[in-house]
Amino acid sequence: MRILSTVKFTALRMIRNYIVLILLLVVPIILITFFSFILSGYVTDVGIPYINENAMTMVVVFQLFGGSIVMYLIHHDLFAENKMRMYVIPFNQTMYAFSIMLCGAIYSIFLGILLMVYSQFVLSVIWENWIWMTYIISLVAILSIIVCLIFMLSVKNYKIAERLSELYGVGFVVLAGLFFPMPNHAIFEFLGSYGNPVTLAMGAIRDMSISNTSSAWFQANILLVVIIFLFIVMLMVGRRKMG
Amino acid sequence: MTIFTFALKRSFSNKTNLLFLTLFPIACIFFPKGEEWPFLPYGYQYFGIIILFIGIRLATIILEDRAKGLVKRLAVAPISHFQYLSQNLLAYSIILIVQCVLVVYGGVLFGQELYQPGWLLLLYISFSFSSLAMALAWISIYRNKDVSFLMYMAIIFIVVMLGGIIIPVEIFPDLLKRLAVIFPTYWLGQGINWVAFGEEILDFLLINGVLWLYTVVFMIIGSIRKIQ
Repeated sequence: MRILSTVKFTALRMIRNYIVLILLLVVPIILITFFSFILSGYVTDVGIPYINENAMTMVVVFQLFGGSIVMYLIHHDLFAENKMRMYVIPFNQTMYAFSIMLCGAIYSIFLGILLMVYSQFVLSVIWENWIWMTYIISLVAILSIIVCLIFMLSVKNYKIAERLSELYGVGFVVLAGLFFPMPNHAIFEFLGSYGNPVTLAMGAIRDMSISNTSSAWFQANILLVVIIFLFIVMLMVGRRKMG
Repeated sequence: MTIFTFALKRSFSNKTNLLFLTLFPIACIFFPKGEEWPFLPYGYQYFGIIILFIGIRLATIILEDRAKGLVKRLAVAPISHFQYLSQNLLAYSIILIVQCVLVVYGGVLFGQELYQPGWLLLLYISFSFSSLAMALAWISIYRNKDVSFLMYMAIIFIVVMLGGIIIPVEIFPDLLKRLAVIFPTYWLGQGINWVAFGEEILDFLLINGVLWLYTVVFMIIGSIRKIQ
């Protein structure tokens, strides 16, 4: 129960970190707006405006970077400057770490939903299924948080973990072929389809919007299984580091 | 030239820097060719983004000096601020030029279609200098290197997008097409187009001239000595 009293402060610390706000909210808003200017009037082969697809990509892609703030807070509180202070407080440190993770996930999802609201009301992008969309972006957000924490826990130097988390985000965006087509090779094909959180999430959303439910659930469940697996890995790595 | 040698050594000592300085440019060589657009292979179209990142990475070293109070010590040392800045910048520009040479002639050896490698090299070098000057001007308003790097990253996203490196300028609406002209990345894009199709040498010199103008302006802003 003592953990609950810290949640308020964790949330405040996250909101006050203006760099995260700029990188995860202001930049995507500028990009979506800019793309909507360029792509207005273009439609895909099936008649859906390009801007829908693009806004969806932006919302999913920027979830990949949502883990950095959680990584920063947990490192700062449990492994670096505040370590001694946190360990003398009579509460369960593991639960505290989970509460930060939960806060971070909610914050990241909240920013994603803000983006969706913005693009719907300002740029008139149509979101087919809000609940499904929220579910998918929360999966991506949780996955990115867990991946970032694994980086932080398994690498000695925090700076390297930061760079790795950036590489995770940018790397999967590149592998998804959003910048340029990847070469035709079995490995790249796997990493551009079922081995890539971005394409899995986008595929799930796309399939749901054309009511191809089974395929959508299949792709979402792959994400869920990966999350559970990596969560166990994270627990194991974290136990070693904390102990 | 003591500062020059140490600036060179320092920029290579950091592991992340080493990655940025060698691996990413070399990776550029092997990217595939686009179908209709871009006219050069993707790696060469996007090399400008990497140059921007390398610029801020290198310039951050100067910011570090300022944060550690090294500039204060230099002020009492028998060395002028001009020497300190010029030797640092010389070291950085040599690193950038070597990379440009590596990328362009590596591509020629690898067999990429580069049309006019010599002119492309000149364009990249001009852009490297503007990127360095921009980074120098940018860090002069910051005290914390992480904040400055992250904010610059956000700026890079936007500048690259609006300048027409990732999306061709031709499909922009009119207003954005006009606005794009103020970004240095627009001129890089125009230069790349010229390398692919251009014939009139004057156009190319104009493009380089604009890049050098940016360099001079930003260099003046960035070179003011700040002792905190």
